[in-house]
Amino acid sequence: MKANKHVALCLVLLGFCFDIQAHPLKLSLCQIEYAAAEKTLTIELRLFLMDVNEALVFDPDNNELGLGQPDEVPHAEGMLLGYLNRHFYVKANGKQLALKIKRMSLNGQGDDTALGLTFSYPSQEKITSLEIKNAVFTDLFFDQSNVVYVHIDDDSRSLMLNKKTPVHQLVY
Amino acid sequence: MRYQTLFSACLLLFVASCTEPPKKEAAAQETAATETEAQLVARALAIHDRVLTLDTHADTPLRMIEPGFDMSVRHDPNESGSKVDYPRMIEGGLDSIFFAAFVAQNIRDDDGDSRAKALALQMIDAIIESTEANADIVGLALTPDDAVELEKQGKRAVYIAIENGYPIGSDLANVELFYNKGVRYITLVHSTNNDLADSATDAKGVEHQGLSKLGEDVVKEMNRLGIMIDVSHASDDVFYDTIAISKAPIIATHSNARAVTEHKRNMSDDMLKTIAQHGGVVQLTMLASYLRTAPENPERDAAIAAARANMMPPSEMTDDDRAAMRQTLNEINQKFPNPPATVQHAADHIDHIVSVAGIDHVGIGCDFDGGGGIEGVFDASEVMNITIELVRRGYSEEEIGKIWSGNVLRVFREVQALAEQKA
Repeated sequence: MKANKHVALCLVLLGFCFDIQAHPLKLSLCQIEYAAAEKTLTIELRLFLMDVNEALVFDPDNNELGLGQPDEVPHAEGMLLGYLNRHFYVKANGKQLALKIKRMSLNGQGDDTALGLTFSYPSQEKITSLEIKNAVFTDLFFDQSNVVYVHIDDDSRSLMLNKKTPVHQLVY
Repeated sequence: MRYQTLFSACLLLFVASCTEPPKKEAAAQETAATETEAQLVARALAIHDRVLTLDTHADTPLRMIEPGFDMSVRHDPNESGSKVDYPRMIEGGLDSIFFAAFVAQNIRDDDGDSRAKALALQMIDAIIESTEANADIVGLALTPDDAVELEKQGKRAVYIAIENGYPIGSDLANVELFYNKGVRYITLVHSTNNDLADSATDAKGVEHQGLSKLGEDVVKEMNRLGIMIDVSHASDDVFYDTIAISKAPIIATHSNARAVTEHKRNMSDDMLKTIAQHGGVVQLTMLASYLRTAPENPERDAAIAAARANMMPPSEMTDDDRAAMRQTLNEINQKFPNPPATVQHAADHIDHIVSVAGIDHVGIGCDFDGGGGIEGVFDASEVMNITIELVRRGYSEEEIGKIWSGNVLRVFREVQALAEQKA
């Protein structure tokens, strides 16, 4: 149950910025997790909602898309996935994982509201390599930092991707 | 010699009467009254060169886990956002620094704890490897005197810290494990509550009404081992609980004065007085939103509103349309930049803390690579501008020495002395 438990509990994640209040450090968090016993690869992204709004509708304070809310507009998820597909991917054992949102949630308040996205993939194969691209919001902010935590069974690693280094491959 | 180019240039303007710091207030006033701006800068740089400079908070380990990032190479902060590397420490005359291993708060169970511990250890190892790979110019520091000794050798001193007590989990033995790895302060909590303490900024509010029982035990264990306790990011109740429980002085490694800038992350006057009464120190940070309330920017706001009013619905835009709109917004932001926070704002906070807590209870913790960086102190290469502003405001060399390192090293020594007594 470890993977599923993490997926569920990660909904409570909030404090991923260093010094909040309009998050002076431009940051996103990504967590990739695979537990052989669960045979499931899970990807979680945590993005500042303001940054998402800026990227999609050019206005950080414009919540007209209603992402993660009951009144989410029909084309909102498509716009979000369109953006993510241009700036983010994970390749497991050389195969790129199609982005299909399993769960979307909002946490926090005001300028520090975080949009949590969960992607989940059944996987029978042992993970031998992961290639990660995470260039989200590097088109908006020159100093965007995208921290990636990777947990493959008992192996935990962290890396930071940004505009200069948007892609990295891990080999297991 | 540190920051050779800048210092050499200023030497041309240097006058003999400025080569020694004035010994009396009257002399200082006389010097200040007669010297030119160039002379003042030269005098300040000379002071900056003589005092030991120590920045108590940088999140640079995050950079160290960027694939290919090399601390021995000078980076352009305007290209990558990087604020600290060893060449820029040398350039700025920054003698020593605490690199904080930060792990974002995640689920609070055994799995989450063990992962946080593994990630923290990975970052600590990255710090150590960085010092080993650059042993000709930096050294790992474990005691207060190490910074002094390394400075004499012409090397930068690198201390290790942990920001967020999350990696401790519920196992007190981890505190000693981290101490043995070289960790010399731990920030109890970060932006959200953890098992040790309440955060100043958790949107869900308080959980423990201060320190938890585990948090109290961690504070005592840090006292026993000689690890400084950092209350930056903690709620006010955590601050007062920690003051009550800790037998050693405590520090706030990157916090400012709430009376100057209203922010939950800043410290009230009562907290400033209390930390001083207990011998501790508040290290001023260079985060714009903690230094000043952001001013309005009506021209930019109007221009952006006009651009948005004229754009087609975003859902109908092609990639080219989106690129064109982004370009338009970028040009507006460049034309009407936000008024920045400046070193004068930082000095205003220092002045206030000195007036409330005293000169022996203030220091510098820029929070570079964690959001810190303002006009004039944008990265490690510019920290001498803090000294210049302090000299401009009449601080003596002795006082500047206290601010830059003397105060926090005093606390560090007291923390370690207490641990030795307990051993």
